[in-house]
Amino acid sequence: MNMVRVEDVHKRFAHVEVLKGVSFDVEQGETIVILGPSGSGKSTLLRLIAHLDELDAGRIYVDGQLVGYREVNGRLKALGDREASRARAHVGMVFQRFNLFPHMTALGNVAIAPMKVRGVPKAQALAAATELLKQVGLGEKLHAFPAQLSGGQQQRVAIARALAMQPKVMLFDEATSALDPELVGEVLEVMKALARGGMTMIVVTHEMGFAREAADRVMLMDEGVIVEENKPAEFFDHPRHERTRSFLSKIL
Amino acid sequence: MMLLDLLQLPILAREFDWGTVGEYLFRDSIREGAWRTLQLSVLAQIGGIILGVVTAVPRNLKIPVIGQLFGLYVWFFRGTPLLLQLFIWYFALPLYAPDEIAWLPFYDPDLLRLSSFQAALIGLAVNEGAYMSEIMRAGIESIETGQMDAAKSLGMTRLQAMRHVILPQAARVVVPPTGNEFNAMLKNSSLAYVISYQELLFRSRAIYVNNFKVMELLVVASLWYLFFTTVWSFIQAEIEQSLRPEQERGGVWQRVRRALALPERWTAGGGESR
Repeated sequence: MNMVRVEDVHKRFAHVEVLKGVSFDVEQGETIVILGPSGSGKSTLLRLIAHLDELDAGRIYVDGQLVGYREVNGRLKALGDREASRARAHVGMVFQRFNLFPHMTALGNVAIAPMKVRGVPKAQALAAATELLKQVGLGEKLHAFPAQLSGGQQQRVAIARALAMQPKVMLFDEATSALDPELVGEVLEVMKALARGGMTMIVVTHEMGFAREAADRVMLMDEGVIVEENKPAEFFDHPRHERTRSFLSKIL
Repeated sequence: MMLLDLLQLPILAREFDWGTVGEYLFRDSIREGAWRTLQLSVLAQIGGIILGVVTAVPRNLKIPVIGQLFGLYVWFFRGTPLLLQLFIWYFALPLYAPDEIAWLPFYDPDLLRLSSFQAALIGLAVNEGAYMSEIMRAGIESIETGQMDAAKSLGMTRLQAMRHVILPQAARVVVPPTGNEFNAMLKNSSLAYVISYQELLFRSRAIYVNNFKVMELLVVASLWYLFFTTVWSFIQAEIEQSLRPEQERGGVWQRVRRALALPERWTAGGGESR
């Protein structure tokens, strides 16, 4: 079953066409890794799936539901703020710069959305948040503020925060790129555990090890299109396209 | 000795009597005026802050019509003199209270005949709201866009994101400029004198028009204004200190409250300032 379906998506910013017709499907429980040089449109694609930006053409479905729009006579009509927000709640997003709420503790960061968006009672939300933070190895840091945590710890809080909404799919936008090298591992471990646990994931990253080990499929994006898509072993060992070969040679 | 000589300068023109200053400084009439000045300033500032937040959020979210309407509000009240606005509220508005339509439900012509206190409070608050709106707008814009992204990705509506994520952070940014606004408010409230609200300046004037101790009574009023603004500057410094980034613990209000839990000697001396 398709959990995410991206159909011929186009996006332009001013005069630059960032996405020039991108299509792919993600099965439930699948982990997709998207590679590509900077400026290739990877982050933009994730932001469209999370409906943080408006798309210009095409369709994105999550669990069969059109994301952010209603289709009226074959044309897209943007949803209102309330409905669009409800749709966004099904898509979890982890950002390169964590974007934790600095005025809340780790616990507050994780519990706020279930409480305010889903109306979960406070005690229950805090209990669930505690459980999630333990899951990402931060049972000791429940009451720490983001500024008191290392980058790796902050990113793990951010993952727990997204998971708290029980999303159908998790998007990772270069989740380890802003981290000191020695902190990358702890975040990747959490992501791998999540993938093994059957979460549907779309991961934009430069971590080739993660792609090889945790991905079901790897894609290369370049200049707004998907150049190549394959199982990780094939992708890395027998790249079919010249652009994939030159990208891999630069990065490995 | 030099300094003392300078203080005696007014004598050259006319006798200046520090004794008179002391005599009137704590007169009931003056104290009452000072109290009204403080009361009016605090209430108008609170009103201004509320108006500022309420009008800044739709402007930031670019909500059609409402956002533009509030933009117009800011434009008008920041673009015309406060004195003129007070005239409108107090003198002009009652002229537009037609008795002919008094039969309309919920309409009472007296609603537009404001007392001088009502006109002063509304006038100062509405004017202050326009300035606070600009301060809030800048404060909201200073919060990085990733915060709004994160809140939205969690399913919050834009208003929820504002309320739970953006505004609590913006509050910290706007504390210093808001403090300056209150300092200005303490003094601008004296304009209420022209619509015969009997605040500090009005009361001082009421005395000197009878005894002709003009300078003495103006010094009396000055001392009260200086007292208020000085106490406030201490409070403001204390609040800002508590909001410094190294004190990451707690929300803004928690920390402001902690900052205001001043030691005994302060709360005793500054009782009137709260």
